Amino acid sequence: MPFTIGKIANLAQVSADTLRYYERERLIAPAAKSAGGYRLYERDALRRIRFIKQAQQCGFTLTEIRALLALRGNNSACCRDVRRVALEKKLQLEAKVKAMRVMSKALSHLINECSADNRPLDDCPILASLERANGVKRKSR
Amino acid sequence: MRIELFYAPGCQKCADARDGLRAAAQEVIPGVIWRELNALDKLDYAIKLGVTTLPTLAIDREVAFSSLPTPRQLREALKRRLTKAV
Repeated sequence: MPFTIGKIANLAQVSADTLRYYERERLIAPAAKSAGGYRLYERDALRRIRFIKQAQQCGFTLTEIRALLALRGNNSACCRDVRRVALEKKLQLEAKVKAMRVMSKALSHLINECSADNRPLDDCPILASLERANGVKRKSR
Repeated sequence: MRIELFYAPGCQKCADARDGLRAAAQEVIPGVIWRELNALDKLDYAIKLGVTTLPTLAIDREVAFSSLPTPRQLREALKRRLTKAV
């Protein structure tokens, strides 16, 4: 028995808007439409939605998830192909973690620099540093 | 000079291309150090170098190509580095 968008959204614990968005992003499509034009989904759509949600939680973008889903449906692809995608994603996440650690360290430095609590805003070393950084960025464009 | 090719396990196009790339590197720099690294085994090192896609080719521990270059592209990149170094 096919599911309406509200029903399958409820089962997958996402909103109907999310499913419409996934549809616009070509990640899922209803199996059919009712006589009244309502979207109807088969049970396998539930598995697909859960897959998308899980992959998003692992940091995959919707474009990457589309590629993963295409791999899943490709008979000539194998687990090795998926592992390569996962390995690349891990490398990208680690690069982000590394950049964020550098940012965190820079913020620690700024926080330590700002020792006077009641200094006027014009003398705030944190704001001054951020403004300087912004100025450098503008110049480099 | 050291050239390192990071690859994903089972990468067929890497296996197909590596001989041509290694020959191109040897042609420009005889005795160049050529290493092929399984990114899964050398994950920490790959992260350290900033590898984010596979395959990636690093020259002297710097990412030079984030996809497989042609032997010609590699030759040109190595020649540019040699010129810079002089």
